[in-house]
Amino acid sequence: MLNGYGGHILRVDLSSGRINREKTDPKYMLDVIGGRGMNSRRLFDELKRDIDPLLEENMLLIGVGPVTGSLFSTSAYMTISGKSPMTGILGDSAAGGFFGPEIKYAGYDQLIFTGKAQTLCYVYICDDHVEIRDAGHLKGWDIFETTAAIRKELSDNSLQVAAIGPAGENLVRFATVACNNSRMCGRTGMGCLFGSKNLKAVVVKGTGMVTAADPLKFMELCKIIDQRIMSHPEFQDRHDMGSTLLMKALNGLGILPVNHFQKGMADYVDKISGQTLAKQYKVKNKGCFNCNINCSRYYITPEVESEGPEYETLCSFSSRIGSDNLEFALKMNQYLNRMGLDSLSTGETIGWAMECVEKGIFDKTDFDGLDFTWGNIKTIQKIVDLIIKQEGIGAEFAKGTRHLAALMGKGSEKYALHVKGLDVICGDPRGIKAFGLTYAIASRGADHLRAEPFFELTNRFDEAEKRFGMRDVADRLSNNGKAVLVEFTERQALLTDCLTMCKNVGLSMDVLDFELAADLLKAGTGLKFTEDTVNKSLRTTINNDRWMNIDFGITPEQDTLPYRFTHEPLLEGESKGQVVPVHDMVKDYYKIKGWDENGVPQE
Amino acid sequence: MLIIDSYKCSGCRRCETHCSFFHSGKTGHLGARIKVEKIEILGVDVPVVCHQCREHYCTRCPQNAISITDRGSIEVSPTLCDLCGACEALCPIGAIEIYNGIPYVCDLCGGNPRCIDACEMGAISLDLSIKQTVSLEDMKKKTKKMSPSQKRCAYAEKIGQKMRETWLKDRRESC
Repeated sequence: MLNGYGGHILRVDLSSGRINREKTDPKYMLDVIGGRGMNSRRLFDELKRDIDPLLEENMLLIGVGPVTGSLFSTSAYMTISGKSPMTGILGDSAAGGFFGPEIKYAGYDQLIFTGKAQTLCYVYICDDHVEIRDAGHLKGWDIFETTAAIRKELSDNSLQVAAIGPAGENLVRFATVACNNSRMCGRTGMGCLFGSKNLKAVVVKGTGMVTAADPLKFMELCKIIDQRIMSHPEFQDRHDMGSTLLMKALNGLGILPVNHFQKGMADYVDKISGQTLAKQYKVKNKGCFNCNINCSRYYITPEVESEGPEYETLCSFSSRIGSDNLEFALKMNQYLNRMGLDSLSTGETIGWAMECVEKGIFDKTDFDGLDFTWGNIKTIQKIVDLIIKQEGIGAEFAKGTRHLAALMGKGSEKYALHVKGLDVICGDPRGIKAFGLTYAIASRGADHLRAEPFFELTNRFDEAEKRFGMRDVADRLSNNGKAVLVEFTERQALLTDCLTMCKNVGLSMDVLDFELAADLLKAGTGLKFTEDTVNKSLRTTINNDRWMNIDFGITPEQDTLPYRFTHEPLLEGESKGQVVPVHDMVKDYYKIKGWDENGVPQE
Repeated sequence: MLIIDSYKCSGCRRCETHCSFFHSGKTGHLGARIKVEKIEILGVDVPVVCHQCREHYCTRCPQNAISITDRGSIEVSPTLCDLCGACEALCPIGAIEIYNGIPYVCDLCGGNPRCIDACEMGAISLDLSIKQTVSLEDMKKKTKKMSPSQKRCAYAEKIGQKMRETWLKDRRESC
C-alpha cells in the first residue's frame, strides 16, 4: 500500500465520457513529489504544445500532494494546471480551503480532464464512483449559488465543490475557479479553461483517510513545524490581519501600488488598511484546512458579507485604481468571488484604462462612454459587468491588458503592466529587487508566488551571510545576490506547491527547509526521499517548465519588466529614486541556473 | 463535557485532524469524533461533538452496548455492538456515526482531549463538572430520519442563526 498518497490518478475524458482510474506509481511520485510538480510533469509528458488553449486538446489537471489532508499544518492546497488561456504559456493556480484534502480522502492524487463536454456538466466524484452529470440548470449561476445548489441536489452539505461562475462560462480569459466559495484559483485563467470544456464544477466527497508510513515520526516533524509557526515574530499580525497587513506595510516601504504604480504611497492608507478592515468589518477569523494561523476573515458591511479579501484584491480595488473606499473594495471582493473573476487582472485592466485617460491617450469615446477617472466606482462596477458578460468594450477587456493595449495602441502598450501576458501583482518591484527578478523570470508571467523572496524584506543580515554568503541579500534595495536568493526561494516555492502547503507559511514565514521536508516526505510516504532527491526533483521540474514555455514560444526578451519599473524612478517615500536593473539580474539568474545566454536549460 | 464556543471557531478542522490522528494515526473527516459543520454561505462554522445530553438518546441501544462513563462520555462495547445503526439514528445532532465498522463518538481521549490543544482559536474547552445537563429535545424533533451529516448541518444552522444575530447587532452598533 502506498502511504501518504491518495493512491490513484483519475482520468475523465469529457468528449467521450470515458472514465479511467490508474494506480499511482511510487517511482513516478519520487520524481515529481506531487501537487504542482506532478501537474507540470504531466503537461510536459502529455500536452501537445502548439494548441489553442481553448480547444479540447488542452488538458485540465487538479493535483494534490503526499501530505495534503494530513496532520501537517496548512496542508490544504491543490493546484489546477493547463495551458493558460490568458497567457498561452504554462498556466497554474493554487487555492486552499478544503477541496484539496477531500480529493485525497476520495483516494486520488491527480484528476485529469481532457476533451470537451457537449453541454454544460459537472463531474461528481465519491471515492470510486465517478459520474458526469448535467449542469444545464446551473448555467449562468454564480459560484455561491452553484455550490449551494449542488450540495442541495445531492443532499450533502459536506461535499467539496470547485466551481466557476458566469465569467468562466463566458470564457473571460482571467476567470477563476473557486472552492468553498471564497478560496480562489485566480491567476492564469483556469476558470476559463473549465468553461472551455463545458465543465461547471468538480464535486468531491471522500470517505477515506490519509495514512502515514511512520505516524510517530511524522507527528514529531509536524510538531517542529507547528513550533516554528507559533513562535514566528509575524504570527500575531498574520493571525489578526492575514495578507491585508501588507497595505500599511508596503505603504511604509513606499511600494504600495497607487494610481496604477505611478506612486508608492497613499496618504489615505489608513482608510483602506488591514487594521481598519479588522477593526470595523471583521466578525471572526476563518481558516483553511488544518491551519493554526487562521489568517482569513469573515466580514459584514452594511451592503454585503463574505470571506476575505486577500491583500491583492484589496489593493487592486482600492489604491491601485485610485480609490480610498474600503466598503467598495469589500463589495467588489464578494462580487468578483461570486462571478468568478480574478481581481488582480480585472484591477490591472481598469488601472491601465484610468492611466491612459489621465495621460490623454484615450477618452470616454474610446471606452463606450465610460468615464475612467481614478476611483470612479460607477465606472468600475459597469466595466466589471461588461467584462463578465463579454459585452461592448468589456469583450476586449475580458482578454486581458496585453491584448487590450495591443488592440487600442497609441503607445498605451507602455502602460500595460504585465510580463508574458500575466498582470503584475500589487507590489512595486522598484523597492523589492528580488521580487522584480521573480516577476521577470516566473514561469507563469509576472508573479511573486513562483519565488516569493520575502527574505529580502526581513533584515536578517547574519542569516543572509550564513545562507547565501552575502549580507546584501537581506537588503531589499540592493541588487547583489538577488539571483542567488531567487534561485533558492524558487525551489522552496515549488516545494510548498508540491506538498500543497500554504505559501504564506512555508515560504513567506520561511518555516520549511529542504531537509525537514525530505524527512517529512519519507515519514509520510515511506518512499526514499532525501534532501538530494527532493532538490533534484525540484530542479528538474523548473527546467522542464522552462523547456515547455520555450516550446510555447517565450523568448529571453520576455524575461523582463514593464518599462515603468526599469526606467521611471519612484518619486517619494522609502524607495525613492529606485528602479530595477532587471537585465543584469536576469543574466545572473541564467548563469546560476546553468542556463545559456538565451535562458535555455542545458541539462 | 467539551464546551464549544462557535463564535471563536474559524472552521479550519484542526480539531478533526488531531482527533482522528490520535485515535488511529490517520487523518480524515469521518475518522474524527468531532466534526466541524461549515455553512459557507452564512459564514458559520460549528464543531459538532457529543454534548453528553440529558436525554442520552443513544443509550437506548437495542444491544445495550452503550453506557456512560464517570466522565460523562459515551462508551461503546465492541463485543456487544452489532452495528445495527440505532445509535446513529437516535442521536439528534449526528455526534455518533458508524465508520469502518465502529460507532465513532467522543471519548474525551481518556480525559485529555487532543482537540483542545489543536485549536489555536481557543474554541474548545473541557469542564468535567458539566454532564448530562444539556437538553437536545428540540433538535430531536427537527432531525428525525436525517443522516448524521444532515443532522449536524441542521444543528449548525440553529447555532448559526444565533451567532449571526449577534454579529449583525455588533456591526450595527459599530457603524
